Amino acid sequence: MEKRSGALMNTVNELFSEDCVFVSSQSTKETVVKEVGTKLLQKNLVTNEFVEQVLEREKSYPTGIDLKVLQTGLPNVAVPHTEAVYVKTRMIVPIKLTAPMRFYNMIDPQQSMDVCFLFMILNNQADEQANVLAAIMDFITQTDAAEMKQFFALNDTAKIYAFLTEKFKILKS
Amino acid sequence: MIKILTACGAGVNSSHQIKDALEKEMSNRGYDVQCEAVMVKDVNDEMLSKYDIFAPIAQTDAAKNTNMPIVDCGPILYRIPAMAVPVYDAMEAAIKKLKK
Repeated sequence: MEKRSGALMNTVNELFSEDCVFVSSQSTKETVVKEVGTKLLQKNLVTNEFVEQVLEREKSYPTGIDLKVLQTGLPNVAVPHTEAVYVKTRMIVPIKLTAPMRFYNMIDPQQSMDVCFLFMILNNQADEQANVLAAIMDFITQTDAAEMKQFFALNDTAKIYAFLTEKFKILKS
Repeated sequence: MIKILTACGAGVNSSHQIKDALEKEMSNRGYDVQCEAVMVKDVNDEMLSKYDIFAPIAQTDAAKNTNMPIVDCGPILYRIPAMAVPVYDAMEAAIKKLKK
């Protein structure tokens, strides 16, 4: 297949799995990453070191994304992930947090923020065609803001999954 | 050719997005640019010496021992022109100063 810069090779249905959507009542990033990471390990989607590596990376290279700068009233999100070697697939694991959780800003690591939703990225391919983060940002910034607010208010994994499979678009170059 | 090194924590998602964006936009602006994306923890003075500009996603002291131009490229990650254009402008200014 001809290489297209910025194009994802997965379909939307391959990027999300209905049994890998979570709603968590954990109060810290350590406990929620462990809670979800343990389930991903049981499904053989990540390695034994995944949880430890995600948390280690988050300390030095945080993944919080400040959406206040968009001025559309959206809550902040984070995109925890780690190096490709600790992951066995390419997919996004949505995690709704029932209570705000503190993360630090990816592009300004001294700044902390409250986050209400995680898009945990599993990406075992380090090339521009596998740009899962870009697809997430397009989803957030190009979906109607009112609909995105409704999405972030969802606490039902089936509804979260349904919204994503309907609205998440494959990148076009 | 202008050689740019970009870096992020895991070397998978953010830095590759910056690489792709910089190569495309700088080409549109008429510059021959080649980017490499690495993990910040792998950046050292010897690696930096092979590049003209360092373009991390966030401020880091990885290039503190060099005099090379540094352009923080984090806002490109939002994929919104209003946030990316100032970064592209700063990158273009850095390229012009190189006089290559």
